[in-house]
Amino acid sequence: MRKLAVDVVVIGGGSTGAGVVRDVAMRGYSTVLVERADLGQGTTGRFHGLLHSGGRYVVSDPLSATECAQENAILSRIQAGAIETTGGYFVCCPGDDPAFADKFLAGAAATGVPAREVSVGEALRNEPRLNPGITRAIEVQDGTVDGWQLVWGAANSARHYGAEILTYHAVTKIDTADGAVTAVHCTDLKRGEDVVIETGFVLNCGGPWAGQIAAMAGAHPVDVVPGRGIMIAMNHRLVNRVVNRCIYPADGDILVPVHTVSIIGTTDVKVDDPDHLAIEPDEVQQMLDAGEVLIPGFRNSRALHAWAGARPLIKDNRVAAADTRHMSRGMAVIDHTERDGLDGMLTIGGGKLTTYRLMAEHIVDAMCDKLGEKRACRTAEEDMPPSGAGKNYVVTHRLEEREHDRFTEQIICECELMSRKMLTDALAAQPNGSFDDLRRQLRLGMGPCQGGFCSMRATGIALETGHIDIERATALLRLFLKNRWLGLWPILYGDQVRQTALDNWIFAGTLDVEHLPPPDPSVRPEPEIEKKTPVAAVMEAGVRS
Amino acid sequence: MSRVVVIGAGLAGLVAANRLAAGGAKVVLLSKGLGGLQLGQGTIDVFGYAPERVSNPIRTVQALPGTHPYTRVGATNLLAGLAYLKELVPDLLVGDPEANYQLPTAVGAIRPTCLAQPSMVAGNLGAGDRVVIVGLRQLKDFHPQLVAENLARTDLPSGGRAKVRHLLVDFPAREGEIDSSALTYARAFDDPGVRERFARAFIGELESDEIVGLPAVLGVSDPNAWRHVAEKLGHPVFEIPLPPPSVPGIRLNEALTASAKAAGVRFVPGTRVFDFRASDRRVGSVTIAVEPAGREFAADAFVLAGGGFESGALELDSHGRVRETLFGLPLEGADAVPLIHGDYWGGEQPLFTVGVRVGSDLKPLDASGKPVYDNLWAAGGIIAGSAGWAEKCGDGIALASAMAAADSILKELS
Repeated sequence: MRKLAVDVVVIGGGSTGAGVVRDVAMRGYSTVLVERADLGQGTTGRFHGLLHSGGRYVVSDPLSATECAQENAILSRIQAGAIETTGGYFVCCPGDDPAFADKFLAGAAATGVPAREVSVGEALRNEPRLNPGITRAIEVQDGTVDGWQLVWGAANSARHYGAEILTYHAVTKIDTADGAVTAVHCTDLKRGEDVVIETGFVLNCGGPWAGQIAAMAGAHPVDVVPGRGIMIAMNHRLVNRVVNRCIYPADGDILVPVHTVSIIGTTDVKVDDPDHLAIEPDEVQQMLDAGEVLIPGFRNSRALHAWAGARPLIKDNRVAAADTRHMSRGMAVIDHTERDGLDGMLTIGGGKLTTYRLMAEHIVDAMCDKLGEKRACRTAEEDMPPSGAGKNYVVTHRLEEREHDRFTEQIICECELMSRKMLTDALAAQPNGSFDDLRRQLRLGMGPCQGGFCSMRATGIALETGHIDIERATALLRLFLKNRWLGLWPILYGDQVRQTALDNWIFAGTLDVEHLPPPDPSVRPEPEIEKKTPVAAVMEAGVRS
Repeated sequence: MSRVVVIGAGLAGLVAANRLAAGGAKVVLLSKGLGGLQLGQGTIDVFGYAPERVSNPIRTVQALPGTHPYTRVGATNLLAGLAYLKELVPDLLVGDPEANYQLPTAVGAIRPTCLAQPSMVAGNLGAGDRVVIVGLRQLKDFHPQLVAENLARTDLPSGGRAKVRHLLVDFPAREGEIDSSALTYARAFDDPGVRERFARAFIGELESDEIVGLPAVLGVSDPNAWRHVAEKLGHPVFEIPLPPPSVPGIRLNEALTASAKAAGVRFVPGTRVFDFRASDRRVGSVTIAVEPAGREFAADAFVLAGGGFESGALELDSHGRVRETLFGLPLEGADAVPLIHGDYWGGEQPLFTVGVRVGSDLKPLDASGKPVYDNLWAAGGIIAGSAGWAEKCGDGIALASAMAAADSILKELS
């Protein structure tokens, strides 16, 4: 058993938790973040990659619009490497009411969201695949963001301030005594070891899982209503700017160019369990139809991968309606002192990735108030290494890097231009990581071949680094192939079927991966892989019920 | 002289073209790409798993149930095809229809196959064999430690285990190049001087009695390159096929293309066949996609050997409909529910068994069991019933169906 003692335990390694642990650490508290899987493996890694300009909310939710515009400017500066300043358009498609654009422009002016109407001709010149039947176009400052780089940037910044980040640590119990939190118990899933963290304060940033965590401290049930959204990545950038439909926010009205792909999203369906997110065939069809409205011929382009995320909505009648001091729009803070007579815990729900820094500021302010301390938030003032301060992300950055190291480095993933050194550096940083952990940092297996060529190379290289043995290397290969398939099969059609046929030919046909020796649990148990499978497999992309 | 158009340049198309030309037909082979041989392992699978590992493939084929494509093409055509292929490429294929080789793959699994290239057969290991797997630092598609350590912990099909270690050799294919493809290496190894330098680079590290496993890059034009390496090392050598581009597959492709050309087959590569004309249940011509309006090829008989989904001969659209993309032939298995399932390790996807139904003369059939066109034949991966990857039977089906189709055409046209 391992024992730790800190001022604050942050539970949950999504954007909220990462932003919170950074803020807590920067204000001088000792802190630990615990996350049952990898950072950004939940909702943060399962969205469309949009960094809001605020445009989406100028009519429906003006305060959100203003918050988004301000945070967009801050994040684009302090996390430059995670954010591409693509710009965006709001376009009126055939059949959409062109008068909504007037409401939009008025709302933008009122909320401080930069927006400018451009001619249809200019929009079509800049984005030639756009529906030529659009009637109006408004330019905004939407960007795209890599959720994984964003959370790792915040987590590494927190580490710099002394925080400890414990991934693959599942919370099992929260101790209380005399109406106050005293300790958090976790299991280190990689080592099978129990960890006890003595603490006086818990910040519950579990998102869709926040209710389950609050229950461990004996709080009244927290009504979390996860809202499922599906997204589909198309195999290249159909557009180079974010394209939104200029309508009241609805399903399937955004196409977002992220890295080498473009992502259409999303739906919103209430679900019971955030660990079981289906990708329903009718929702896939709905997304393809929606894409067709923005980009004629959308169905004929190649869909690469689909996934589902759960919005962390909290509907809780015990939240004091008057207490909105410490809240961002769309965000809910549950103060367990008033609600459950439990000191030393706050639960946070709702919110948006774009405003994750602001949410953290509010939550940590609330904690400081409860502790009776004045410590100022400095998170907006400081760049996050290594991606902050400097150039924003551009899609060609890896091409530039490979041009420089082409005589010394092999390209292990041609689709995503990932070099051998990128892989071995990431393996050294996460020697216990699965290939999906590496994928989230490197985009391994996320391009058109979906792991067809890079999986075997990554397996061989991982083994050669000495971090893992042959049995684990082989098990990781199997797990990676299985997990890639979860996001492939719901959208398998057209050219991706050709790719899949080739990939099956390689793995089943030429390599005969299926007939490698099976894992022998009596010889060397692989608890982390076995335990991870049900969670990771389901969370990876959802399963059909 | 009868005119035959063959569509597709994989194993089925090349064997059919060779056979038809040798039988006196005037053959044009139309293909969009290079054919499927360079995607595969460069051996001839007949039957590998049924679902247990198969040691006698021809006996397994003879005992198959009625739904398998082999039951349409017949074991007799298969045996004739195997013999014919060995005649066509005598330097490249050895083996016995009664006994599979069990050969290591590039992840260290042991894979059954029927005819193999002579450069591979020393990999058919026995208990206690001492093996060293040698990789090249500049070749990213072959990781000798992965191969060696999986092989070492595998029970050999013949019983026992081999003793396997690995070695990584620094040997650029071209000066200053860190990231060379298998084909770049293979071209380098066509040079005897390169082979001698290569052998010298690690001969000192070999232990006595060791069998040397190497990536399948030992020459592409020179079929004896591997013998030269073995001779210089003084050890038996075997090649292990890599993911595409497959050098052993390219060797087969080039040899079969050369023999077809020598027999008078005319190749029109690089252009997709996109249209056809038919009347009175006979195909009159097919059209390839060249400017300005396509070019038509009329013939007395047509062989559709364009493969399956991997080549675009079959297509699944975004609404879940499968079609054969040239003739719009009726498909078997296209209405399976589900067509695709979510368990990667849960067995063959029904989608990849979809194809055309053929009669014993290899003509595609309609729902009533009659030929769709009286002068259209099908061969290879387009035939319904098995994707071939899991069972390791795709090459045998291609071969047997090409033989049967060619012989049926020659008989009808004579």
